[in-house]
Formats: sequence, C-alpha cells, structure tokens
Amino acid sequence: MTQTATDILPAGADETGAAAVIVAGSNEVPKPRSARSGSGPRAPQPVAPSSIKRQRLVGRVAVYATLVGGAVMLLVPFFWLVSNSLKTDQEVSKISQLLPETAQWGNYPEALRRLGMEAEGWAVYFPALSNTVVITVLCVLGQVLSSSLVGYGFARYRFQGRDTTFMIMLATMMLPAQVTMIPVFLLFRGLGWVDTLLPLIVPAFFGTPFFIFMFRQFFSQVPEELLEAARIDGAGHLATWWRIMLPLSGPVIAIVAIYTFMFTWNDFMTPLIYLNSPENRTLALELNSFNGQYGVENRELLMAASCITMLPCVLLFFAAQRYFVDNGASTGLKG
Amino acid sequence: MTFARAFRVLLSLAAALVVVWAFVDAGARLWQRVVMGADGRSVTLTVLHWGSPEESDIVEDLVRAFEAENPDIAVQRLHATDYDAKLKTMLAAGTPPDLFYLRYDDTPEFASKRVVMPVDDAVEQAWLDLFFPQLIDAFRSADPQGNVRLFGIPKDFTPMLMYVNLDLFEAAGVDVPYDGWTWDEYRDAVGRIAEHGASDDPAERVYGGLLKTWPLVLRNIIWQFGGDYFGGTDGRDYAELRLTDPGTVAALDMVRAVRFDDGSVYNATGISESEDDLFRRGRIATAGPLGRWVVPRYRKIEEFRWDVVPLPHVEGVEPSSALATVAWAVSAQTPHPAEAKRLMKFLCGEPGQLMTAELGLAMPSMKHVAESDAFLSPGQQPENAELFVRLAAEQGRLAPQPNNYQEFDRILSREVQKTLQLDSKTPRDAMATAEQDWADERASPLKSQSYPLMPWGKVGVAAAVVIAALLAVLYWFARREPLSPLARAQQRAGWLFVSPWVIGFVLLVAGPMVISLLLALTKWSAMVPLGQAEFVGLDNFVHLFKYDKQFGQSLWVTVYYTILAVPIVQVAALAVALLMNQSVKGIGLFRTAYFVPSVVTGVALVTLWITIFNNDTGMLNALLRYPLELFGLEPPDWFGTNSRWFAVPALVLMTLWGVGGGMVIYLAGLKGIPSSLYEAARIDGASHWRQFLAVTVPMLSPLIFFNVVMGIIGSFQVFTQAYVIRGSNGAQNEDLLFYVLNLYDHAFRFHNMGYASAMAWVLFLILLGLTLIVFRGSKNMVHYEGLKA
Repeated sequence: MTQTATDILPAGADETGAAAVIVAGSNEVPKPRSARSGSGPRAPQPVAPSSIKRQRLVGRVAVYATLVGGAVMLLVPFFWLVSNSLKTDQEVSKISQLLPETAQWGNYPEALRRLGMEAEGWAVYFPALSNTVVITVLCVLGQVLSSSLVGYGFARYRFQGRDTTFMIMLATMMLPAQVTMIPVFLLFRGLGWVDTLLPLIVPAFFGTPFFIFMFRQFFSQVPEELLEAARIDGAGHLATWWRIMLPLSGPVIAIVAIYTFMFTWNDFMTPLIYLNSPENRTLALELNSFNGQYGVENRELLMAASCITMLPCVLLFFAAQRYFVDNGASTGLKG
Repeated sequence: MTFARAFRVLLSLAAALVVVWAFVDAGARLWQRVVMGADGRSVTLTVLHWGSPEESDIVEDLVRAFEAENPDIAVQRLHATDYDAKLKTMLAAGTPPDLFYLRYDDTPEFASKRVVMPVDDAVEQAWLDLFFPQLIDAFRSADPQGNVRLFGIPKDFTPMLMYVNLDLFEAAGVDVPYDGWTWDEYRDAVGRIAEHGASDDPAERVYGGLLKTWPLVLRNIIWQFGGDYFGGTDGRDYAELRLTDPGTVAALDMVRAVRFDDGSVYNATGISESEDDLFRRGRIATAGPLGRWVVPRYRKIEEFRWDVVPLPHVEGVEPSSALATVAWAVSAQTPHPAEAKRLMKFLCGEPGQLMTAELGLAMPSMKHVAESDAFLSPGQQPENAELFVRLAAEQGRLAPQPNNYQEFDRILSREVQKTLQLDSKTPRDAMATAEQDWADERASPLKSQSYPLMPWGKVGVAAAVVIAALLAVLYWFARREPLSPLARAQQRAGWLFVSPWVIGFVLLVAGPMVISLLLALTKWSAMVPLGQAEFVGLDNFVHLFKYDKQFGQSLWVTVYYTILAVPIVQVAALAVALLMNQSVKGIGLFRTAYFVPSVVTGVALVTLWITIFNNDTGMLNALLRYPLELFGLEPPDWFGTNSRWFAVPALVLMTLWGVGGGMVIYLAGLKGIPSSLYEAARIDGASHWRQFLAVTVPMLSPLIFFNVVMGIIGSFQVFTQAYVIRGSNGAQNEDLLFYVLNLYDHAFRFHNMGYASAMAWVLFLILLGLTLIVFRGSKNMVHYEGLKA
C-alpha cells in the first residue's frame, strides 16, 4: 500500500538530522556524488575467468564459515541456558558435562512455583504473569492508539506551532526517563498510585516520540485523494483516522506493538520503584528476587526461571519474524 | 509454510487465552481489593521483612495465627530481597508498611525523623523483663523532642562466632579451640589445614578458613585486636576516626596476610562459587565471623561434622562478640497504631520466639527461651550451642553507629575491598584514604551546615507568574494571524490530535524537569513532608563535584562503558549487516539466528550471563582457559580481582550478544542503497573496499549517526545489568557503579531526593552537551542528499 504513495510529497521538509536520518533506508534516492571521496576513474583490470571462479568459491566458503561461526557463538548461550535448566543441582557445577544425564523437567514446575505460581485444578494463581500480561497489553494498546493519533495530527494537519512542537518532541527523544524519575515518582505518589499498576500503564497513553515519528512519516505519504474521498463521504476527523489511516498502517502498528511489548515485558526499573505488594509484582521483579534468594544455590532453577521469563519474547519473535527481520525495520523506518 | 501458519494460529490462540486469563485474574484481584475489601476484615496491616525462605515461612505462620486470633484484622506480608531500598521507597511514597524490621543501628535516625512510633505505652515492664536487657536498650533512642523512648521490640539476635569443620581439623591434627584462641593460633591452624588439604586440582583444594569482612563483622575482628572504627568511649565519637590506629591496621594486616601471603584463607571475588557453598561442601575449615543465621542451612550437611567456636583475639585484649539484632517496629504513619502494636507484640511473643528457636535461624531475644532446650536443641548440631548464650552474656557488644552509617560503610567498604579482596593497596594506605574521604564528606557544607527552609510559597507564586506569562505569549502568537474558519477548524483538530503527547509532555517531562531543578536546590529526604525541605542553593552541585568521590567513579564507569560499547556495537552491527546482505543460500536462517539473542533483554539476560561469567562454574572462562594458557595467560576474574578493567567489558560482551537489534536497522539501510550506485562505482573500477567507503558508508551515514546518538544516550541509562549483578555479587562493586545506579541509590536507598535531583540535572546537561558535540562533529560527515527526495 505504501508503494503507491511514493509520488506523494512528504508533509513539511525536515531539515534536522535526527528526523531525517531514520528515513535513510528510503528507495527514492537520487544519484549521490559517488566519486566524492577522491580516487579518479580506473580502467577495469582484465582477469582470467577461471581465477574469478576460484575467487568466488573461496569467497563463498569464507562467507559461510563466518556465518556459521558467528551463528554458533550467538546460539551457544541458548544451549547453555536450556541444558543447565534441565540439569540437577550437582550437574550444574560440572562445566565439562554438556548435557544433563536425564532431563530434569521437574525444574520448570519448581521454578514456576518459586516465581509465585499456584495451581489448583484449572484455577491458576500466578500474579506475576497476569500483571505482566495486563501491563504489556495495555501499554501496547496505549502506544499504538496515542502514537498514531499524534502522528496523524503532525502529518496531515496544518496548525500554528506545529513544526516547533514537532522539533521539541524529537528533542525529548534524547532525554532519558531517569532525569525526570524523581518528580514523576512524586507525582504518582501524590495521586496515590504507588503500588498499583497505573504508573506503568498510563504513561503509554501519552505516546512515545520515536513511535509518533514513525507514524508521522508513514501518514505523510498516504495519498491526499484517499482522505479527500473519505471527507466527501462525510467522515469526520476521528473517523478518517480510525477508518482510513489506521487500517493502512498495519506494518507500523506491528513495529510499534512489538517494540512496546519487548520493552514493557522486560522493564525492570519502573516496577522496581513503583510496585511493592507480592500480588502486584511483575515477572522481571520476581526473577530478580529469585536470583537474589536462590540464584547461588539453585542455578538450574534460576536458568529455568530465566527461560520461562524470556519465552514469550522468543515466541513473539518467531511468530512475527517478518516484521523483525525481513521488512520490519525497513517498513517501519522507511516510512 | 503450512507449518508456520499452524504455529502462528496456535500461538495466537494461546496468547489470546493467556490475555483473557490475565485480565480476569488481575480484574478479580482488583475487584476483591477495591469493592469487597480484604475478605470482610475491617483492618488491614502490612508487614515488611527480609530473610530466607525459611524465615518467610515463620513470619507467614505467625501472621496467619494472628489473623485466626483477631478475626477483624487482615495481615498482608511483604518480603523484600533489597530490603533497605524497598523500605525507603515505600517511606518515600508515603505508603510505609505498618510494621517492619528495624535494625538497631537504624533506630536513632528513624526515631529522630519520626519514621517509627514509640511503643512504650503498649508493653508492660514485666513483659520487657523477659528479654535480654541490652537488646531492649538497643532500641531506645531520642524522639524529635529529645525524650528517650522505646522504638521496637527485638524479635531475635545473634552474636558473632566461627563455624568449624571438625573433620578437617581432625584430619590435619589440629585441636578444636572450644575455649577460645589467639590470632596467632588461628593463623597457624588454618595454615596447617590448608597445607594438609593442598591439591593441584583447584576444584579439590581445601582452605583453612574464610573471613567475612563486611563492615559490622570486620569491626568485630578489629575489636579483637584492640582497635575500632571510631574513638571516644565505646567507639561513639564519630568525628574521631581510628582507622589508622595500630590495632585496626594490625587486624587488616592479619586478614591480608592469611589471604594473600599464606593463601590459606579463601578470598571470594566476583561472581564465583559462594563461600557458604564451599564450607558446605567441606572445603573450608573455619568460617566467620558469622551469626546464627547459617545454622538451618548447615544442619542439612551430612558429609562432615561441624561446630561453633569463639572468634580469635589478641593476647591482652578483652574478647568481644558483635551483636546483631533486629526489632519489629511500628510505622509512625500507620492508621491503626493499636492493632499494629498488638501484632508487634504477637510477633515478638513466645510462640514466635519458640519457632525461631526451633528453626535455629537466630537466638530468641527472650532469655528463658534462649536458655531452653528449644534453642539449645540437644542432639542437633551445633553441639556447642550453649556457646551462643555464653558469648551473648559475657562478650556481647553492640556496635554504635553514626546516623549516616551507610555513607560511612560505603566509603569504608570501597577501601576494604581494595586492600583485602584485590590486594591493590596496603591496609594502612587504604585506611588513610578512607579516613580522608570520611573527613572530606563531613567537611562538605552540605553535611556540616544548617540551612533555611525552602520558600515554597514564593517559588509557587513565581511559577504561577511564569506560566501565566507563557500562556499570554502563546495566546498573543495564536491571535496574530486572522484565520479563515476552515483553517481554524484545521488548527483546532490538529492540536486535538497531538494533545495526548502535549499533555504527556507537560505532565511527565517539562513539569518534572522544572520540579527536578527546584529539588536540586534543596536537601530533602522524602521521609519528611516537602515543606521541611531545606534550601541549600548550589551546595548539592558543590558536593557533587568537590566532595563526592562516588560521583566521579560513577561518571568514569559510565564513560568507560560508552567509549567501549558505542563503537564496538555499531561496528559489529554494521559488519553483521554486511554479512547478512550477502546473497547466499539459507541467509534467512542465519538472519534469524543472529537476531534471536537480541530479543532477550532485562533481568533474564543478566541472570543468564551471570552464570556464564561465573569464575568457577561458568562457560566463558572454561572456554577461554585453554587458549589463553597457550600465551601463559589466565581468564579474567570479570567482576572480582580484575573488575577495574573487566567488569565493564563484560557488560559490553553482554550487549554485543544482542547485536541483531542494530543489525536489522543497518540491513534495512543497505537494502535501500540503489544498486545503480555500486554499478557506477564498479565501472569506475572501485574495489570492494573502495565501494564500501565511497558508497555504503556515506549512504548509511545518517543511520550511523542516529545509532551513535541513541547509543550514547542508552549507555548513560545502563541500570538493570549493574543492579542485578550487584545483587548476586553480594558485595558492592564500585566498578559497576553506573551513573543511573548511583542516582537510584541516592534517591531510593540513601534518601537524598534533592541530591539525586541534582545528579539527574547533571546527567541531562552531560547528555545535552554530548549530543551537541556529536551533531556538530558530524556536520561534514553525514550525507543527507538521499533524504531530500
């Protein structure tokens, strides 16, 4: 759908680096000054065909060797994680033993129990998981709705102070949350929200600069005729956004949702500051206490608990792989 | 294809189920709390405590028994691993637990700041007389009016002593020093045992002992040499330091000598097998100074016999045993003081004392229970259990602590670590530095001066004036151009659309920035109302730059990380992206393999890597050992002896594992470069390298620039890794004191909200400066021509 929009002017040229850099992946690139960095033209060297073949072969082998070597290095920690999570207490200390003699599947229910899960028949009591899921789902919802709303406003409306506001928003991307941590804590304390899930959820409904930026880039390229048509059909501002714009922006929504999911699921500092009661804690907090309490003595359980905690992110990755690797980044960043 | 589809369908179904369950579950809990109240009981008390799983079970049993006796009261039990930070965060939030553990050394500060409530009126003298008198006295302190009151009831206590492995003593032919020993005898004994148990295999080697050196127990060792931290009677004059006294230095010299010169005492550094583990596996003969709390775990030992002996001392010095004691205290802010005091008495009462005694975790604070068989538990190890009672009565000594002892401990531990763990300084030099640092700390105006209160009224009026002026200016600008009705509608709709962000910006960014700046001018611990904040001018910043050595250290750690991580990760990401851009068969699979690690972040990532970095049982050093041996090198002790230079690189390694995240961004960029450019370059006869430099890099430069800026900002935000590693390391490791961790400590552990706000502003200014420098520096290097299509 985006491809049809290439001939549409982006709304407002951004002169700033920060804004512009992210669209670097865009296809519509004129010829750059390729000879810029010196070196005059050189005549191509004639090379014997057989030598080219050999060179190609060598190159290919080298590429594969590097690929395989790197992949092994990156995947070994996963192997270590899974194998250790299935070992016995004694086996964990033996590095030379790569695999457990018999896989201790019982480590997983035990780890779950120590993360705070209790099950009776079909009734499952696992506050850490349900809290994390609730927080994550609501944050994803909030980010997608608010960021697209704001992005749409910046992309398709002309209003005084828009460009200044947009610049300020981009600048806040560089502001780490820790700078405002204390006053924000005092604000939520004043509202009586400490030890509730609200401080972790509500900020997501105000949008995030980077996501707003991605939506804005995307919406800028939607053909004006489409909006025109909607308006003629009598759609109001919100209806246009909801019925025309949002359905178009599937890939951006996916990216925003995925990144919000990953960030929220793993966030540690915010829950650490705001959550106290056992029934309000998140998985990241439980895993940290687990590490402090049993980590030294029961490494196999710690590994099982780590596995459980990261599993949703890994599954999400495999389910939504095309958004992550194939065209995900490009769709999202190209705009 | 079909498989992938089935996988996705199944996964979506499962995800949907989990989400529905989660909302129902969380909703039901909310419903119960908000609408029903806590199962119909009229009062809910919250108790906060720390401790092992066994201790949690005791507290759990006790509170349930209390609930059964008091049907109108519900008790919510909170357990914290990072207790101090949790308690102080809850205090700062204005939602303190009604009842919590109070260490005796925190009593003066908490009493003077009105954090805890006097409990004299709730207890009869006859009942108090059941307790060891010195323990009751430990919780007496001056209230804000200067009257001495009782602020908590000791739940239990322990003297410090040593645990010995009887089998190792016997094997080496060394007598067990049941009646006390001197340090010379100690050194001789551990030397002989270590010699007897020497082995080429590091996994079999036996150590003569291990000496704990955290500030309280180290002080006990120093007492045994006739030294102390502070001067005055009984070490109560905190202005007079005795760190370089002969006795103090002699004690540290001895610890250093047995650890490094003799090698007979185990020196635990970094993330390695825990000392306790080694004792329990029978590879350490003496362990101390330790309290009673290890007994339940040691009772599970079946491989050898063990017992307890007194700490060694020096001839002519009266031996003493440091007492550690904890009370249940009632929050001054509790809405239910009567019920909270009732629960406090119940928790400290005889049933609880008996349970503690039987579990063996600590000594009951009631005399008759401590002297009963419930505690002495004949037939169970340690046989010499009566030593606990004897030490408590004859040698027990409470270490007096200054109000801000945590800051003193921080300074002291840093130097102790350098001399006794890393052997990078002599004890005398280290202690001289600590003395100097403590003197500096006390000399800082922030610590020695008294300030007027912050004039919040005037500040509020000024703020209102500024806001009104800003609004007026905005209004004037908006009115300047007359607009057509259509344009005005556009205008209004546009602002409405962007309003979520604008509101968020005002509430969560701009407003807090201003408040943070105001707080940075104050001295305020969130434990007292904001109105009591003192106005200190710029003294927070003065202290930061002139007196606070930790600040410099945290800046250095962060900068070191930034310098390493940003270039390494970006180069790696670009290199991998180039590799992934090759058109070879199966590249899709490789992309997946390279990307998966980057989806693992947060605590899960760190807990995984902690086990990988473990010196003794970790994979990394096992893999490195052999290749490094060829060059006569040893793998580094990442978070221990080599932590000064290797702790941060270890984190970089961890970050590098997630190289896939940066890789996909560059890959997208690479795919966006038109192939015509490369063709043109090839016609010009450019080599691969030349093409890379003349086409790829310039075309990617905006992306590289963006990633570098975000990388720098991300580096200054490192928190989780350092926090989790510190938690599992036990000791404090200043080589991982990242800026934000330091900021968190000041805000939520030491409770200096004003000071922490000053740090936040310095962080902001540093990042602003760095970003501007990068922007300026990159002006001629970033090519934007591709962007202005």
